[in-house]
Amino acid sequence: MSYELTRRGFLAGAAAAGVTVLGQPWANVAYAADGKIVVRTDEDLQNLDPANRAGPIDVNVILAVGQGLVKFKPGTTEWENDAAAEIKQVSDTLIEFRLKEGLKFTGGYGDLTAEDVKFSFERFKPAADGTKVTYADDWAALDSVEVTGPLTGKIHLKAPSPAVWLIALADGSGVIISKKAFEALGDKFKTTAIGSGPYILKEWVPRDHFTLVANPDYIGEKPAFSEIVGKPITDDKTAQLALQAGEIDFSRIDPAVAKDVEATKGLKVEKLSAIDYVWIGPNIEKKPFDDVRVRQAIRKAIDVPAIIAAAYNGAVDQAFALEAPGLLGHWKDAPRYERDVDGAKALLEEAGLGGGFTTKLTVLNKAVAQATAAVVQANLAEIGIEVEIEALDPGAYWAYGENDASKNLELVLVEYRGKFDPGFQTQWFTSDQIGTWNWQRWSNKDFDALHKQGLVEPDPKKREQIYVDAQKLMDESAAFWWITHNAYTFAFKDWLVPGILPNGNQWQYASFKKA
Amino acid sequence: MNGFWSKGSLARYGASRLATAVLVLVGSIALLCSLTLIVPGDPARILLGARATPELVETFRQQMGLNLPLYERVFVFFKHALQGDLGTDVISGRSVTDMVLAALPNTILLAVSAIGLAVLLGIPIGCYAAVRPGSLLDQVLAVFSVSLVATPSYVVAILLLYFFSVRLGWFPVLGAGEPGHVLDQLHHLILPTIALAVGWIGYIARLVRSSLLEVLSEPYIRTARAYGQPERRVVMKYALKLACIPTVAILGVGIGELMGGAVFVEVIFNRPGLGSLVFDAIRVRNYPVVQGCILIIVAIFVLANLLVDFAYAWLDPRVREALGRTRSGGGV
Repeated sequence: MSYELTRRGFLAGAAAAGVTVLGQPWANVAYAADGKIVVRTDEDLQNLDPANRAGPIDVNVILAVGQGLVKFKPGTTEWENDAAAEIKQVSDTLIEFRLKEGLKFTGGYGDLTAEDVKFSFERFKPAADGTKVTYADDWAALDSVEVTGPLTGKIHLKAPSPAVWLIALADGSGVIISKKAFEALGDKFKTTAIGSGPYILKEWVPRDHFTLVANPDYIGEKPAFSEIVGKPITDDKTAQLALQAGEIDFSRIDPAVAKDVEATKGLKVEKLSAIDYVWIGPNIEKKPFDDVRVRQAIRKAIDVPAIIAAAYNGAVDQAFALEAPGLLGHWKDAPRYERDVDGAKALLEEAGLGGGFTTKLTVLNKAVAQATAAVVQANLAEIGIEVEIEALDPGAYWAYGENDASKNLELVLVEYRGKFDPGFQTQWFTSDQIGTWNWQRWSNKDFDALHKQGLVEPDPKKREQIYVDAQKLMDESAAFWWITHNAYTFAFKDWLVPGILPNGNQWQYASFKKA
Repeated sequence: MNGFWSKGSLARYGASRLATAVLVLVGSIALLCSLTLIVPGDPARILLGARATPELVETFRQQMGLNLPLYERVFVFFKHALQGDLGTDVISGRSVTDMVLAALPNTILLAVSAIGLAVLLGIPIGCYAAVRPGSLLDQVLAVFSVSLVATPSYVVAILLLYFFSVRLGWFPVLGAGEPGHVLDQLHHLILPTIALAVGWIGYIARLVRSSLLEVLSEPYIRTARAYGQPERRVVMKYALKLACIPTVAILGVGIGELMGGAVFVEVIFNRPGLGSLVFDAIRVRNYPVVQGCILIIVAIFVLANLLVDFAYAWLDPRVREALGRTRSGGGV
């Protein structure tokens, strides 16, 4: 049989193929109808081992697949029982627990027992050769886990540690893994999530998607969606377009496009204030920043509301201290410094620097950071300080945390992610962090003592006062010019209610619900 | 068979090009490895984040081979690469060879379809403009072509997505389509192909126009016309083949350009190809993955240039003759 391709035939064939392709039912709204949703993640999964996870993308899946003794109540920083039928703080250094009956690990790895709890938590202790897992610090207070029965045990702490509930037990480091699975899977454990939680990681196609499906053996409340597909999309603009085109149902978006997205039919936008801490600070050991008057002058000169308007499109609230609103230790009466150019000039004059000076501001080469730096540059020019902006890629920027490199910094813009316990935030400003993450090389013995005291103080009211006092010391130093605690903007289908913890980057997939 | 296509000449030519290719591959990986020494920041620390313990950082340094001297890293990499092992992704523990092989078809499909589209549209536009030099149509096509060349692929990509995916809903935004579902994959391929090809359409059109104008003024074209050959035949049969030679020559370089452009296009369309793989790996300094990707990208580039050289000789008898004489020891 012979076939001659004519021009007319070719055009007809091409048209038919086009119609077939375009006519495919690539439904933009198909997912919700059959209990499936598609969520955008900023990055792909990396490591699903709770002890060595790489960040919130991983921990969100780890917490969906696994169970801890306790878990965060949806959308709050309070905890409730998860795998534990009962758990109580018997003394400052002892926690007793009893597991629920009938909890089973997926993949045929058997029942969840107290032995698994012991194995999961004690992995965070340094090994005999001194090696530690990435999140070892979360369980720094752990002494041992004593198994008293198949479903019961005792957690012994080396010292009182109220932070252990929020930092370790309710978070990713508190997820109970299967000892059998860990030993059987070896290196594959970090890519194969085995748990007893509401979801099963059905598949993970690297750089394309991962799929969570409801765990039929889960004995708790069944999740609202039978399937959640996670799509790693690094580019914010692509995520926005995919959302508007109906290909994804939930995404974090750039706050600058919130109005545009909100105008799209069927989409909702929600802003969530976060608990991060973004600030600019000087290297205290470098002249002239060793003079408190110079630091006070710069604090008076920097126009934070202008930074928020220019760099953040007004989408975030101003920060006045380290601990974000809503956290224990939030200093609600922290001073609000108004911009005062004349006052700043007078302070510089008093410090003998009336003629101004030249300095360098180091920032990450991200748009927001660079816009912030540009405003600061303009602000400080008004009081005679000439600022050179050093915008570095993440590799070079974070290298200031190694080999005492921070001694070369002058001014630096820093952004750290927060956790729900105030002690997590204060730890980076202690004297023993100089040379690593205390880039400003600020050393205050009273602050160090308060940080240590806060870690072991069991009374929440006393703890609160300890952290407020610690922030007062930071304020007195005039070395921290707070900008914001950040805010995350999310867009999602109007039939969806996402489950997001107050830090904005931990999503509780099992709490995603239909509106 | 005589000249360039004789067995001896072809083998010598092939051997010399192969040696060059090996040098380019080794050189590029050596350069990449030396960059890891120059660029500030410890890749293991960056990759693992601020909270990683020194022990874990050291383990990762060893896994990435960063503790070895430069020459040893290059040697070990090529020793394993020759056995088909491009290393292991230190984050996920997956084989880099598997990751590259999974991504490669998506990128090749995109690059080939973009080149195909650029040639398919660029050559007719160039021909049209060349046979009517100075006309209004020529001027319109000149503005059109230069506009296409000047528009970056990522801008085109976002505009295409906005109009055809968001507004009209004709094409999908994300991914490369369901594996094994040809129509779905084609559907996902159309917009990225256009985005990547746009610049090249304009470039090829301008190139074909200028070289066709030059060929059309050759004496043999005048002769063909004097013999009463129809203009269409003169252009299509006698002039175009020669006028296409510069186009073929730039396609070799174009592969490199397309691979660069594919990074943006794959990131914007979220296609799991080689471009987005290397982009993600560079961002977190996942060097084993970067090395594996660079090796494959350079190999594609070298191979494409080799094919272009052969195509060049096939299209132009003068090149064939010259190469044949050079390989036989004669002067050009």
